Amino acid sequence: MTVAASPAAPARPRKPRPSRVLILGLVAVAATTAWAGWEIGFTLGPLLENFSNGWVVVEQFLHPNWSYLGNAWTAWLETISIAVVASFFGVAVGLVFAYMASRVTNRSTPLYRATKWFLAVLRSLPDVAYVLIFVALVGVGSLAGILALFIFNIGIAAKLTAETIDAVDQGPLEAADASGAGTFARARWAVQPQILPNFLSYALYIFELNIRSSVVIGYAGGGGIGQLIQVQFARFNFENVSAIVISMFVVVLLIDQLSQHLRRRLV
Amino acid sequence: MNAASTASETRTVRPEEPGKARATIGAIALVVVVLAGGFLSNADWGKLPDIFTEGGKYFSLMLKGLVQNPFSEPYSEYWSAALGGMLESISMAWIGTMIGAVLSIPMGFLAARNVSHPVVVQVTRVILNAIRTLPELVFAIILLLPIFGFGPNAGALALGIGAVGTLGKLTAEALEGIDPGPVEAARAAGAPGSAILRWTYWSQVLPEVLAFWLYRFEINIRASAILGIIGAGGIGSVLSQAFRYREWDFIGILLFVIIVVTVLVDAVSGAVRHRIIAGSGVSDTKVEQDAATL
Amino acid sequence: MIELTGVTVRYPNGVVGLDDVSLTIPDGEFVVVVGLSGAGKSTLIRTINGLVPVTEGSLTVDGVEMAGASQRTMRDVRSGIGMIFQSFNLVKRTSVMNNVMMGQMHAIPAYRSLIGAWTADEKERAFRSLERVGIVEKAWTRASQLSGGQQQRVAIARALAQDPKVMLADEPVASLDPPTAQMVMKDLQRINRELGITTIVNLHFLDLARQFGDRVIGMREGRMVFDGTGAEADDAVFEEIYGRSLTADDVLPGQA
Repeated sequence: MTVAASPAAPARPRKPRPSRVLILGLVAVAATTAWAGWEIGFTLGPLLENFSNGWVVVEQFLHPNWSYLGNAWTAWLETISIAVVASFFGVAVGLVFAYMASRVTNRSTPLYRATKWFLAVLRSLPDVAYVLIFVALVGVGSLAGILALFIFNIGIAAKLTAETIDAVDQGPLEAADASGAGTFARARWAVQPQILPNFLSYALYIFELNIRSSVVIGYAGGGGIGQLIQVQFARFNFENVSAIVISMFVVVLLIDQLSQHLRRRLV
Repeated sequence: MNAASTASETRTVRPEEPGKARATIGAIALVVVVLAGGFLSNADWGKLPDIFTEGGKYFSLMLKGLVQNPFSEPYSEYWSAALGGMLESISMAWIGTMIGAVLSIPMGFLAARNVSHPVVVQVTRVILNAIRTLPELVFAIILLLPIFGFGPNAGALALGIGAVGTLGKLTAEALEGIDPGPVEAARAAGAPGSAILRWTYWSQVLPEVLAFWLYRFEINIRASAILGIIGAGGIGSVLSQAFRYREWDFIGILLFVIIVVTVLVDAVSGAVRHRIIAGSGVSDTKVEQDAATL
Repeated sequence: MIELTGVTVRYPNGVVGLDDVSLTIPDGEFVVVVGLSGAGKSTLIRTINGLVPVTEGSLTVDGVEMAGASQRTMRDVRSGIGMIFQSFNLVKRTSVMNNVMMGQMHAIPAYRSLIGAWTADEKERAFRSLERVGIVEKAWTRASQLSGGQQQRVAIARALAQDPKVMLADEPVASLDPPTAQMVMKDLQRINRELGITTIVNLHFLDLARQFGDRVIGMREGRMVFDGTGAEADDAVFEEIYGRSLTADDVLPGQA
């Protein structure tokens, strides 16, 4: 006997209709997609039409000019130096903002709110906007790159660290309060030892991010390897660009490995 | 009478304070590395004071642009260029996210250890990692500009490729984290592979994956501004033009529009994300932490 | 001397923690507070050092009014009151020394505490506090490497480093095994006798309460329902405080 064979089936419950929110959501997504596609003139046509034009370039990319890497390594040194300096100062200042952006360590509500808003504004601008601003202020070069990444890093470091501070064990804080410790002492001795491994891990992560951002930074005038790519690209030396991109691949992988190794030891 | 005075009569041996050599060496090494970085970066540190001398002047110029009547010339043009550019950036980010999302579904399944063959998993992961290593700007330069020309279409495709890397990895990790019980039950009931993937794997990860897509959209909005500087359109292109001509009042309006729209989109997207996750039984903080690596 | 006159504590969510409690604790007394969880024992202790604000009534510690006191006054009073917690509340990722230092933090200027530059005097004082509880040799060990009993002793040392006039202990032995619980209670008693520090301990084991309490106070639903010597607190009194007959859970395992 099968399930379906039972005689005189009782009334079946009706399938509930899909919720209105879901339908509206799907319609909104479809409409946004259609509109956005129209807005940017989305098409895959050129892939077929221009493929032969593009192929000339792609072919150059497939034959990287290895000898050019000799010129690239000073630019790499510059990029890594920019990332080191910007990460170091960015996370240091970010730590202070993190303490101000957590209710655990900041007991003044107006100051907490103001810090949160300030950090949200800081994070809303992309790194390239900061590079453009600092290039205008101090001219093209590494200094603009360092300053841009420094500001950018403050936002990320403060957000990640503040979330960690929110989640610390409250016991030591209670003990600190019960013994009459001040705001600085409780932040330094009841909170900081608890967040230190996470914070150092964020610092390494931010350093990785800064290496990845180097193309953007340099392209906008902030020095380092990106500047080299921009110059070579503008001169249509695609073989050279290709060699740099491959070196970037290697450097990023190496730094990721190193940083992951260090992070695993920390946490 | 206090703890200090009475105890002194029965003074025991004090343990020796451990040496601080390691910490000191570490601190010195860090300082040396940072100083070396400051030197080797070839930064012109002498120009640092310019921020303070020039900064105030430019900042007030930017503010001046903001407080002008937005319906008078040339400010009406500035505002419409800023809003138009932002709209184009958002469109670029949206299409990029859609492309990335659609492509990341098969990639995610192929890269999940509990779904695919180990060889397939390894190959897919290498591809995803390779994509994640390179910034979107590189894809735009290498592949898209020669074929698609300058413009937002190329930008959206570059964002899409970039998104596949992170979304594919996160989808794979979400799939690996599912409850294996329903899969086992479906197998035991003799369900075909496609049904198992759709109704046990995909149903379980859907909320998490949707949250990742929204996260990626937020990131793509910022990334689309970056692509603008190589001529992919959107607010980034407008911004770099304005900087080229040092139109500070225009720059002020542009930065204002970027900040306000980004904060708004983040807030809306964040609220939707929390709502999706709230009903799913997945930990909100876990999703946030995973997505932090986007 | 600690004096409570008609003290009521109402939490922001409406729960009444203390209900019209009047109580005088003279200097140097060893008081044990008993009651079920939620009876207001914890609230009583936290109110005395100002971690919980007084809603109505008056509470003075050595003549200083705590009801409606400023943050500044509150911190000054707290610095003279040592507190010990059920879960020890140590920072596990740092040394015992730095944990004990927390007790002196109220007297160390911020610029020195931020970089951890303790003076020889401050270190000596921490050593002496550790000596009192017999674990001076662990001064430079990480707190996470200590056993539960040792951690609670570090917490006592942290409170002693404050050079307190009053010592408050909120269920100090609830997370410890019976022999260790006995030892920690004896440490507290010895410190009370030797240094004359007024000590108030929350307990829920009635045998420990009888054994150590010179004075026993019973709490039930935020009200004080018993106040007498340990000897007076017989089973009938405890049944009255707990509102039910006694079970094996009410005595320290291995003691009954």
